[in-house]
Amino acid sequence: MKARLTIAVALVIALLPVAYLLSLAVRPADDVLNSSLLPNTWTWQNFVRVFDTIDLTTMLANSWISATGAAVLAVAVATPAAYVTARRTGGDRLLSVLLASYCAPPIVAIIPLFFALRYAGLTNNVGGLVLVNGIASVPVAAWLLDGFVRRIPVEIDEAAAVDGLTPARVFAKVVLPLLWPGVVAALLVVFFLSYNDFLFAVYLAVTKESQTLTVGLSLFQGDRNVQFGQQAAAGLLGIAPVYVLALAAQRYLVGGLTTGAVK
Amino acid sequence: MTRRVPLWLAAPAIAGLLLFLVYPTVYLVALALTRSSLAHPLRVFTGVENFQKAFAAPAFAPSLGKSTLFAIVVAVVTTLLGLGLAMLLRHRGAGFGVAGALLLLPLVTAPVLVGVAWKLLLAPVGGGLAGIAAALGLGGFNPLGSGVGALIVLGLIHIWQWTPFAALIAFAALGVVRPELVESARVDGASPWRTFTVVTWPAIAPSLLAVATLELVIGYKVFDTIVVITSGGPGFATALSPFVIYQTGLRGSFDMGTAAAQTLVFAAVVGVVATAVTTVRARMVRAEG
Repeated sequence: MKARLTIAVALVIALLPVAYLLSLAVRPADDVLNSSLLPNTWTWQNFVRVFDTIDLTTMLANSWISATGAAVLAVAVATPAAYVTARRTGGDRLLSVLLASYCAPPIVAIIPLFFALRYAGLTNNVGGLVLVNGIASVPVAAWLLDGFVRRIPVEIDEAAAVDGLTPARVFAKVVLPLLWPGVVAALLVVFFLSYNDFLFAVYLAVTKESQTLTVGLSLFQGDRNVQFGQQAAAGLLGIAPVYVLALAAQRYLVGGLTTGAVK
Repeated sequence: MTRRVPLWLAAPAIAGLLLFLVYPTVYLVALALTRSSLAHPLRVFTGVENFQKAFAAPAFAPSLGKSTLFAIVVAVVTTLLGLGLAMLLRHRGAGFGVAGALLLLPLVTAPVLVGVAWKLLLAPVGGGLAGIAAALGLGGFNPLGSGVGALIVLGLIHIWQWTPFAALIAFAALGVVRPELVESARVDGASPWRTFTVVTWPAIAPSLLAVATLELVIGYKVFDTIVVITSGGPGFATALSPFVIYQTGLRGSFDMGTAAAQTLVFAAVVGVVATAVTTVRARMVRAEG
């Protein structure tokens, strides 16, 4: 009974900020700061008007494109790398180096990346965000996938090798098809990290055409008359599909994070 | 005997490592030792001038201590809270369940958005919690008005966001504890605390210490919520290192050389603390056998 109660309290705390955003999003402007968690009057207008206040369609598209692209890029690079880290003698050293690079705060890489991307003409460009978020997430994806490769019995590789397949073909034909729960998990994790990224986006993509939702939401604050209700509505439109995705794919997410961590 | 897995399968990942670790490090050192503008990097060699300027900025040196304190506190709290939640969820059944799934949602919520929500929840006039605060006799409740209060708020938001991660890993780690050992300890009359320290802790320690280390590193990265909620204020009370570097390098001054010097110093601090924690962790795991 006590355990249930504690979990219920934890749930309320976990869901409170987003529930409050929902309550803000359905208030007219003069009801936003009413000192209460609940609205006094209702309106759906914020969800309509926000599209006039900011270019929400472009921001959402930029967020989705950069996060999807980054997820595909990171997992495409990390999957064969994870086969090396899990199966090659000394491969775990490569994994350690990859993880060490991930421990460096991302602000460390920002300034050099800014100059490199500008040189390549990729600043203020969604392609640049795909590249940066994708490569930055390779260590996480490799770490997750490494755990999944290790769960596949090495005898399967050996049997395929006896049949005359080269190691690269063993990976492509035999291991990869068994790895898909890990691939799904890694895609999800990188997608969420990139979708929620603010640091890279605020440095590298600031024009109206290239802004992602997180940058757009932060700039809402700077406007003279902040339309908090609209800001909340924009945030919810960004977050709703992510929550649906996270809950629908919960099995893969949980499996992925725990397989990576508890080896 | 299988043939060796060829290294070229990892070639793209290694190239990424060069682009994300080696190139930035070399470039940062070059930037830190020269005068640069946003338009023209690496103009004149200036020696240690940028490092002197880095520490001349009043917010920078204190930010290193504050970031370290912040990271250590949130790492300890998220790990302990996560373990507590995981034990409650385990207590209830073998699966993570619907409650577990909902508890994970903070993890996938954009920090910027979380910041917006908390800023409005805590607004002293008309904020979502202002009514409750007034009812409790805490009129004029304004934690963001003081430096310590604002830092605590940022810490609590970070803990809100990252406890689910620790809970998830702890939940998985608890799965390897053999229930018959817990049961026999109980039959032998061991107290719940003693059962935990003798049976449970040795089994989960490696995973839990690993997650604490990760949480430490994540704690050093906090940035988004500072931009949205406090802009480093009041004063520069909540200007943690990434935010100071951001202000030096991007907002206002565009002083890339000084920002690079600050970045190198900050990376060194994180490196030293993370290495120290990793060493202690290795000793503890070895001591547990």
